[in-house]
Amino acid sequence: MPDLLTMSGVVIKRGRNTVLDGFDLDLKNGEVVVLVGENGCGKSTVIEACAGLINLEKGCINAAKTTIRDSDGRHGRPVFPFGLCLQSDCVMGDELVKERIDDVAALCGKSIDGQALLKQWDLGHRSQDRMASLSKGQRRKVAVLVGVLPSAIADSPTVILLDEPDAGLDEASVSRLSGLIRDLADGGHGVLIASHNSKIIACADRIITFDDSVIESTPSDGVAWKIKSKPAKKSNIGNRLDRRTLGSLSHNIIPGLLVIGALLALADPTQFDSRMRIGAILAPALTAGLTGDPISSRLAEARSGDWWRSMRTMPPNALLHVLLGCALLTTLACTLFGKLDYTLIAAGAGLGMITASVILILHQATLRLSRPNALMIRLLTPALILPWAILVDRLA
Amino acid sequence: MGDSGRQIGIVQSLASLMRGWGTLLLMSGFAGAGLTLWLGLLWAPSVSIDAFEAPVAQKIFYWHVPSAWAAMIAFTLLFIGSLAWFFKRREWGWNLHVASAEASLAFGMMAVWSGCIWGAAEWGVPWDWTDVRLNTFALLTLLAIFLVLGRKSQPDGIETRDTFATFGIYGFILVPLTYFATRFWQIRHPGPVIATSEGSLNSDMGMVLAIGAISFTMLVLGHIICGIRLTKMESRLLDIQDTIDKEGI
Repeated sequence: MPDLLTMSGVVIKRGRNTVLDGFDLDLKNGEVVVLVGENGCGKSTVIEACAGLINLEKGCINAAKTTIRDSDGRHGRPVFPFGLCLQSDCVMGDELVKERIDDVAALCGKSIDGQALLKQWDLGHRSQDRMASLSKGQRRKVAVLVGVLPSAIADSPTVILLDEPDAGLDEASVSRLSGLIRDLADGGHGVLIASHNSKIIACADRIITFDDSVIESTPSDGVAWKIKSKPAKKSNIGNRLDRRTLGSLSHNIIPGLLVIGALLALADPTQFDSRMRIGAILAPALTAGLTGDPISSRLAEARSGDWWRSMRTMPPNALLHVLLGCALLTTLACTLFGKLDYTLIAAGAGLGMITASVILILHQATLRLSRPNALMIRLLTPALILPWAILVDRLA
Repeated sequence: MGDSGRQIGIVQSLASLMRGWGTLLLMSGFAGAGLTLWLGLLWAPSVSIDAFEAPVAQKIFYWHVPSAWAAMIAFTLLFIGSLAWFFKRREWGWNLHVASAEASLAFGMMAVWSGCIWGAAEWGVPWDWTDVRLNTFALLTLLAIFLVLGRKSQPDGIETRDTFATFGIYGFILVPLTYFATRFWQIRHPGPVIATSEGSLNSDMGMVLAIGAISFTMLVLGHIICGIRLTKMESRLLDIQDTIDKEGI
């Protein structure tokens, strides 16, 4: 049988420690491999490395003919998204349950009957609820469903990576999960799991311990499981989420309105010269942009951002709403500090969105750190005043 | 003594030589900087009162230019250190990155602060947000603040080192941009006065400036060498702590 996933000579350091030193692994079609070992031995590191979330010091990881990641920094995404369930649930609290299932299917270019799938897992009655309102066990069920869904709708064998999928699940759900894992393997998919649970370990074809021993096992057979699906287009998750939560209103527009208010309180707009007038008109959009993308802070919830990063797709964002918000703010500032000028409105909208995009890029660049929130990334943002100042100078 | 013993001996000799050089350069640099200040304030000729709004404030030039020069050296070494760590995983590269970031911050702040004082006297405003030279240099200094404070906020490890080295590498784009800013987009900051055909520097002024440049070069190199020693000691301390955690005291 061909290998679906291979790890060759992988060396990974985390912090000051070497977690994996020359680690090799291969996962074949229809095979379930379970990683077993005490806490801190490197099980989660293997799963996250296979998902392309961790940089390698040495070695490479390939899925079929695609390099997922190698030590030279090359990385790619498999032809079809792989299933991934990390130790955290990787869901944003404001996502709706069915919406999450539909979005993952859409990421694979498919559309499914999400309600029916949720009913099978006793979640049908919670399909329109926010993830934040679910119990820990229910959230875990959704995370596991999201983890196996890409494989269940794929036309060809794929890789499924599950990191302690049983954590927080009741006995009945663990039994259902172990059956599901065998069914997926019977459909030709390769499943790599990190777990301590005996029921999950029992469904393994191979058990890898971290003391260099491999145990072959003969689990019971499953029945190939596939969900019916239709082709579908991806939707803009970030904008949809922002419409529901009104995140950009509180995150971007309110600070912009405060700047307009402060300017009106401190100065008389009729006394402004041309330069001051344009500066005042563009200042709210700059402020709105400096506050960044409203969705990026939500992506920090339960490692949701890491899940999207592993899919090698642009993480959800609401930059379009930031653009519209900045256009609105500039229009308001134009009417208060001068007269309507479409060039200025376009400049304000563009300035705000570009500024928010730069903040988003800076935020993404520091996600690998162990304490990204402790980092003073805002120290670099005064640089963004320069484009505003140049724009004011040119337009005046 | 075997090969490895001989190598350790050579490294130790180099380290002690560097230690000596570091302190010597630092002390000579301090003395030179003091001399520059004294010469600049009391001996160097004053500029024409027709050419400047605030001729007395122009004396700050003998402090401002050498500190900007030293900051540029530090930023360049920061770039080299970042490259050496990121691509070759050299420990000396990371040590150089850390020490150069601290030196960049010190000298960058000196240049920005002295520039603001002069700007307030000469232009009537301490800062101009539309001047490219002013803003790119300030951004370099902010980058240095970010690297120094950011590193202190994170535990030492490969992720921390890689992320900050990346900022060190990309941030270097600002160095040539800052250097050429007054040539291509001169707005408020004066253009070059040395090594150009339009240069209008008096020979005495040039001499004080040269003393300043040499002194500040020694100061920044001494600062970085001492910084590298300090970073090595921090690393050694962490190693000892790790060993104690694993094996007990």
